[in-house]
Amino acid sequence: MSLKKTALCASALICIAGAAVAQETTLTYMLWSTDQAEIEAGAIAAFEAANPGVTVEVQAMPPSDYWPRVSALAASGDLPDVMAMSSGFVQEWAAAGNLMDLAPLIGDTSLEGYFESAVEIGQIDGAQVAFPQNWVAPVLYYNRTAFDAAGLEYPDADWTWDDFRTAAEALTIDADGDGTPEQYGYWVYGRYAQTDPWVFRNGGRFVNEDGTALEINDEAVNALAFLASIVDDGFAPRPLELEGIRQQDVFGMGLAAMWVDGSWNIDNNRALIGDSFEWGIAQVPMGPDATPETAVAYAWADMLAVTTDSAQTDLAWALVQHLTGPTLTAADFTGGKVPAWSATAMSEEWLGRGQQPDNMELILEIGAQPLYTGFTPNWSAWRGYAAAGSGGLNGELDEVFNGRKSLEDALAAATAYGNDILSR
Amino acid sequence: MSEIRSTRAPGPRGRVPISDNDHAPARPRSQSRWKTWGPALLFLLPAIVGLLVFRLIPIGWAFALSFTNWRIFNDIEWVGLANYAHILTSPVSREVLGNTLWFTAMYVPGVMVVSVTLAVLLNNSLRSSAFFRGAFFLPYITATVAVTLAWRWIFSTRFGLLNHLLAQVDIDRIAWLADPAWALPAVAIVSVWKDAGFYMILLIAGLQTIDPGVYEAARIDGARAFRRFYAITLPLLSRSLFFVLILALVRSTQTFEITYALTNGGPNRASTTLAFYIYQNAFVHFEMGYASALAYVLCFVIGLITLLNFHLRRRWVHE
Repeated sequence: MSLKKTALCASALICIAGAAVAQETTLTYMLWSTDQAEIEAGAIAAFEAANPGVTVEVQAMPPSDYWPRVSALAASGDLPDVMAMSSGFVQEWAAAGNLMDLAPLIGDTSLEGYFESAVEIGQIDGAQVAFPQNWVAPVLYYNRTAFDAAGLEYPDADWTWDDFRTAAEALTIDADGDGTPEQYGYWVYGRYAQTDPWVFRNGGRFVNEDGTALEINDEAVNALAFLASIVDDGFAPRPLELEGIRQQDVFGMGLAAMWVDGSWNIDNNRALIGDSFEWGIAQVPMGPDATPETAVAYAWADMLAVTTDSAQTDLAWALVQHLTGPTLTAADFTGGKVPAWSATAMSEEWLGRGQQPDNMELILEIGAQPLYTGFTPNWSAWRGYAAAGSGGLNGELDEVFNGRKSLEDALAAATAYGNDILSR
Repeated sequence: MSEIRSTRAPGPRGRVPISDNDHAPARPRSQSRWKTWGPALLFLLPAIVGLLVFRLIPIGWAFALSFTNWRIFNDIEWVGLANYAHILTSPVSREVLGNTLWFTAMYVPGVMVVSVTLAVLLNNSLRSSAFFRGAFFLPYITATVAVTLAWRWIFSTRFGLLNHLLAQVDIDRIAWLADPAWALPAVAIVSVWKDAGFYMILLIAGLQTIDPGVYEAARIDGARAFRRFYAITLPLLSRSLFFVLILALVRSTQTFEITYALTNGGPNRASTTLAFYIYQNAFVHFEMGYASALAYVLCFVIGLITLLNFHLRRRWVHE
């Protein structure tokens, strides 16, 4: 071969190799929060820098747009490589075959750095179909200033439901005697994050073991009856009384001295309450019907999943690892959202030293317990959540708390409605 | 192809008269039609394609889907009339249908009365009328979600403006948005407030077609204001009223945004109407087959009401 031919061949090879190196790989990633997308922008840039030639195309939108959009993409076989996945939807999406089992990709990779219970939430029928990024748990918020004024001890792990009732009564104050307390002891309505922690802490269950039918057990009924009695006794307002006020603002406005809801409300509380009063968090008291076998904590995770439409699963899994591991710092998680990477969660920064509440470790303790989510396919429909929040079990319980329906009738109606949905 | 020649006799100067039909070689009929309709079709093509792709095909597809159990990412399975049977037998669907009819019964008369009143009051040449017409039309073009948030505060049980005003006249608080008896009326109130200005404009246009001489004659005959309104304005406005009635009826069955932002269909579905229920089934629960069947029930209800109105039209509309 002449020198000229050799040079030509070498040039061609260099061109081909150069083209191959320059070829861009695009990884698509969808999530339901534009705020979260902004938070993760730095981590995404770091991933791209560590993987030359890889571009991550991020699409973020509100949840109300996200689920219809990804559902349409699932129908057309065009899901992104990586998608945000909620504990409430993961079963349905796994059953539809849209989520890849990550176990083969995880292989021998150690998961020791993650909260084990959070990782388990992404396991459906033995397959790791989603991986946790953060997790949350309902807690009992309490107004320490009000407790001090009433001469009450703060809630602790030994608190019983009777202790709770006594405190709720003592904290209900109608100073001007007009029949409407300026401060109620407690605040509750039919929302899942407000009632279900009591049910599960009493060993209660709404659905059967395989999640195919509503079978509300006695422990659940007792827990709901306890909450209804708190309202009926006037220690909590009827929900209709506070209609028009954002439910997450009732505690912060000082209208109720105790409240159970998700730990993600810590951020809202910090912003709303400021220094106007002192507050803390505690576990929801264990119920009288709970046994060591049935007593569970209620928590769930926001997760990431690699979809079965992805053609670059190794790279997709690498992105999931990157966005769930130590790359994100404590500052990337809003108050009360616990990083799935335990070292980040245990950092002083996440524990929020110098801010209220001063016992954020409590949320980590909840996550260390056996967890139960109670989610099933179509959970949002039968439970009554988000855009369906006015119906289902939520709507029926509101009828009970508003004093318009007996608990028995409400649960019968909710069961019939839920089983109709689950049977479709 | 044989050439068709003219059979006419030559003209005075021996020339064959020129006529498009006779002189030029005749084109096949299809070619002639294309020349006539082709450009028109080309111009209409974008609209036709848009109509087909975004309206007619989805309408047909939704009808087909209403006989399936499609949930977006499951396989489509034919279920026959099961969705329609479920709608007829489900207590929830019946409750939602009842809510829809109850809302229509409140909204349509409410918006008709308010818009007619406004139109009559503002149908004059006063300078201030122009301002008030604009003011009453404003809610119609304001973002629904934004104004509905303001209404949520107005309706708030404990801190709301409305209950505060009622308290001044010793009326107890009403849980407007949380009491099943009041939630749907609250949605109707906001809907009437938002839409009345639009219908008012339509009715003012109708009022301005009435000959002022008719009123003048009535005045000379001693007819008082109410009599003139009852005997002249209403009959001569009946064609505009009929148009507004049909629009209001259709709109009443499609209410969605205000419900979504004001009550979310609650409490316990008390303000869930058919359009909102379709949204919940389609885009919250992803029951596309069932939602499609509900949409056709809604279509049937609207069609039935409209048909009834056209049938009754001759009894009260003055042509």
